[in-house]
Amino acid sequence: MSALLEVDRINSYYGDSHILFDVSLRVEKNEVVALLGRNGAGKSTTLKSLIGLVRPRSGTVTLDGTPTQGLAPHAIASLGLQLVPEERRIFGSLNVEENLLLAGLTAKARWSLDRVWATFPRLKERRRSRGTDLSGGEQQMLAIARALVRGPKIILLDEPFEGLAPIIVRDLLATCRTLAQAGQTIVVVEQNISAAMSLADRVYIINNGHMVEELTAQAVRDKPEILHRHLGV
Amino acid sequence: MITWPNFFSQLFNGLASGALLALIASGLTIIYGTLGVLNLAHGAMFMLGGYAGYVAFQATGSFTLALAAGALFLIIVGGVIELVIIRHFYGRPPEDQLLVTFGIGIVLVELVRFGFGSLSLTVPPPAFARGITPMGFMIYPTYRLVVMAIASVALAVLYLVLYRTRLGMVVRAGIEDSAMVDMLGINVYRVFMVVFGIGAMAAGFAGIVNAPVVSLTPNMGESILVQTFVVVVIGGVGSFPGAILGGLIAGEILSLTSMVDPAYSGVMLFAVMTLVLLLRPQGLLGMQSRE
Amino acid sequence: MVRRHPLLVEGLTALALIIAPFVLPYLDFAPGTVNQVLVWGLFGIGFDILFGYTGLLSFGQSAFYGTGGFIAAYLLTKNLITSVLAALVIGTIGAALAGIVVGVIALRRTGIYFAMITVAIAETFFFVEFSPLAAWTGGENGLPGVPTPKFAIGSFSYQVSNGWSMYVFLAVCYFVGLVIALRIVRSPVGAILSAIRDNPLRARAVGHRVGAYKLTAFVIAAAYAGFAGGLLGVLQGFMPPDAFMFDTSGQLVIQTAIGGVGTLFGPLLGAAVWLYLRDFLQQTLGLGSAWMLVLGVVFVLLVCFLRRGLIGGIQDLARRFRGARPQGAAPEEAPPLAASAPLTTVGPVRRREAPFSGPVLEARGLTKSFGGLVANRDINFSVAQGELRGIIGPNGAGKSTFFKMLTCELPPSSGRIIFHGRDITGTDVAAVCQLGLTKTYQVNQLFSRLTLRQNVIIAALAERRGAFSLDLLRRIDRVPGLATQVESTLALVGLTARADVAVAELAYGEKRRLEIGMALATSPSLLLLDEPLAGMSPRERAETVQLLKNIRRGRTLVVVEHDMDAVFELAERITVLHEGALLAEGTPTEIQRNALVQEAYLGGVAAE
Repeated sequence: MSALLEVDRINSYYGDSHILFDVSLRVEKNEVVALLGRNGAGKSTTLKSLIGLVRPRSGTVTLDGTPTQGLAPHAIASLGLQLVPEERRIFGSLNVEENLLLAGLTAKARWSLDRVWATFPRLKERRRSRGTDLSGGEQQMLAIARALVRGPKIILLDEPFEGLAPIIVRDLLATCRTLAQAGQTIVVVEQNISAAMSLADRVYIINNGHMVEELTAQAVRDKPEILHRHLGV
Repeated sequence: MITWPNFFSQLFNGLASGALLALIASGLTIIYGTLGVLNLAHGAMFMLGGYAGYVAFQATGSFTLALAAGALFLIIVGGVIELVIIRHFYGRPPEDQLLVTFGIGIVLVELVRFGFGSLSLTVPPPAFARGITPMGFMIYPTYRLVVMAIASVALAVLYLVLYRTRLGMVVRAGIEDSAMVDMLGINVYRVFMVVFGIGAMAAGFAGIVNAPVVSLTPNMGESILVQTFVVVVIGGVGSFPGAILGGLIAGEILSLTSMVDPAYSGVMLFAVMTLVLLLRPQGLLGMQSRE
Repeated sequence: MVRRHPLLVEGLTALALIIAPFVLPYLDFAPGTVNQVLVWGLFGIGFDILFGYTGLLSFGQSAFYGTGGFIAAYLLTKNLITSVLAALVIGTIGAALAGIVVGVIALRRTGIYFAMITVAIAETFFFVEFSPLAAWTGGENGLPGVPTPKFAIGSFSYQVSNGWSMYVFLAVCYFVGLVIALRIVRSPVGAILSAIRDNPLRARAVGHRVGAYKLTAFVIAAAYAGFAGGLLGVLQGFMPPDAFMFDTSGQLVIQTAIGGVGTLFGPLLGAAVWLYLRDFLQQTLGLGSAWMLVLGVVFVLLVCFLRRGLIGGIQDLARRFRGARPQGAAPEEAPPLAASAPLTTVGPVRRREAPFSGPVLEARGLTKSFGGLVANRDINFSVAQGELRGIIGPNGAGKSTFFKMLTCELPPSSGRIIFHGRDITGTDVAAVCQLGLTKTYQVNQLFSRLTLRQNVIIAALAERRGAFSLDLLRRIDRVPGLATQVESTLALVGLTARADVAVAELAYGEKRRLEIGMALATSPSLLLLDEPLAGMSPRERAETVQLLKNIRRGRTLVVVEHDMDAVFELAERITVLHEGALLAEGTPTEIQRNALVQEAYLGGVAAE
């Protein structure tokens, strides 16, 4: 049985700067996959290649049986993939509710607002606040909620815990764990190793644009020196 | 001569022309804010709306239908222009975008000249709006009051569309971050086409509304383009409230300085624009400066 | 580029100008029309230097056309000056002065805003000419009675009259104008203007005062416009007010775009097309005013499909006929660098500072905050002469902000930066480069329209001539020491064999090497490299590490990198940044053993 997401030897470039070299990975339904690596390794570029912000020059990306490499982002989003970007990119001039409404406009199976409030009670309190008035943690929550509203098959999180206070990271982690337990398929890119490890079922490690390791989370916990080798100094 | 009746009359003129400028500038600013393209054909679209309304008026005798024609014709023309030409220029340098919209403007003007000649045409104001209205301390042409009213209603409609409809939400989000809109499953190119159409429509509608005040000539949009850009600069790129504020300010600058010397008013406006561009390029209410 | 005789263009032009009066009448060109074409052509030469070469689209050239024209016409019609040539020259100077004033204002913005300021300027000049100064300019009537030039040698005198007699005068003027423009375009200034159009960021970063050069181009365009305006008055026997109209600027832009932007001859060809179509379509085909519509459509089509106008289209066709360019002896790709490449210091080091024993670069208490966010906090940093220092740090460490402050791209919120004992805090990038501090970019910042050699030349020009030099008429190959500087730089990065290849055709690794080469050509004593290994294959990484080892001799290097293997191989000392502050500093071994550093990379907030 093929995986929900199959990435086969993609090569991605920024201009003619070769960032990803024959990168392959797969994501099964209902699992959480972590993509680890130092910055500059190509983690963000991998996610951007999946959502179509960067078009791979070669290789294939198959989402639930449909090839998606070369499609525009809105087409890939319609097929069930959502990216929560590193910069969050919420619409500052719209309020929380409008951000969520916008996200659901073209979604086939969208979350009701009630379901969003249940998952992110904090956002309900701030439903009428404009994007620019939200704190960092609230913006991150909104960015994730916005992606979830579309009921995506897979949600891609690009450094969701960056720049957040520890207590907020803990809350967010708990929310992510709940989502995962409810069956949401997640790919998370993170530099915060502990956070990533506490969520992940499987781990990929990318180094200088090459996929160098594929392990179960347990295997990594058993042999932490693998992390040292690729991520440490 | 600066007298009180004269002053108030010019103040009102400023409001009327300001409201109209605000409407045209709203169109230009949402195009510029969303697509990043400065539409140098915007003045021509203002003119085109006037002529479309003229044709409708000649055919039906109804001023209302003329207004509708001006708006509808331009939303179609705008959409087609974006689809056929502008879309291919998004990756090209801004100078190329300026050149192509400049050229489109010329073609539109010459098409109208070819079809209608260079002599001015008139569209009379609707019957109820002819003549003058006594307003206590002064008398004022009735139709100009009507222009103020119609322009304000149009601005209100535009406001409602931008802030109370889903389409408006998409447009406002697109002005901020069109790539993110794309990632949320919305086809941005379709959004661009609609925005260009709406922007053109705003200019075209203003053109037919203004027609009874001035006579229609193919070149009437030329001065409008520059004034509109000044409004956008003052108010801030991509900001609808900025276009309204800028429009009123510009309208008043034009009217009040013309009391001193009609010829100076244009220069005054440019001086203000240059100052704003040098000191506060993002304008009064704008968010970012596209440089 | 095919090597051609240096004066080929001038010769062909002279020939064409001589033949024209005998050929053009058969093409239905009346002498009056040909004369108008010449005046527009001369007007456009300056505009093409501004737009085609420097990339600044101005819709305001009519302001200078009118200024020069009216000054000359006024002097002549009021009998203040009898010599037509002298009046023209004074008019040109007047236009150039106006160009300085307007340029200083308008050039503070670029792109669309610059274009719109020029529109405003044009309209303002028109208004001023029309109203307040009507007494001098004749208002809407213009100035009639402009005389034609009269040349006297001894007892022999010749009065130019209309028709072909005027043509001779105008052709000579055009030829002189063209020859000067060709000199300018072939001078170092011309090369720098092209570089500014291509990548103004990098032009500034290699040490050129971009603002001064842009103003130079603007004034040149104003001068040409002013001279042409004067000629217009002489040609028509009267100076018309519509010289100041916006339509005149618009016509110039359209003609140049039709003929070909960046070719110097584009405006001439465009004017010929415009006037020919006007006469042909209007009179012969009886289309009346619809000729302008045809022209508009032609213009839009050309902008869409023939981006370099008719001349560009002809050049493309010629290239296709000539077939594939013979590659000759140039190898497919540059050979990898040998480990034993000879030690070279690039060119004679211009900056001979008094021997300085202290650190090359020092940062004291460097802090940068953006609103409420503190990106860098109180960093103290010092690099010794000849060192190779690495800077590393996990994501969000503030490395790029720190680096930008060191290169003076970003002013610090507080703190000082000392280079060779001299405080450079708040200096601009070009000045700092002239002092010997240069950077290479993570994303290549090259002049993509030029060849590899031309890229290095641009960088070397700043080193040889300083930040700004008005050597408009010097041939670029006459800059002393330029060739040596360029060749030794190419040799150092191993790109000599590929020097004449266009940048667009280089392999990525070669482009990265050129990136470093451009910085080297500025003779830096301190070179800051921003992720030099970004986007490289393993083989390219190894080569670049080798290159860095070669070039460090005689220089100090600071490298920001994520490739740990490379950093640990290259660097003598490593600085680690974390969360905006200095975390640790030491030799590679010390850093590897440092628990805080490991925690920074491998730690993070744990879950329950």
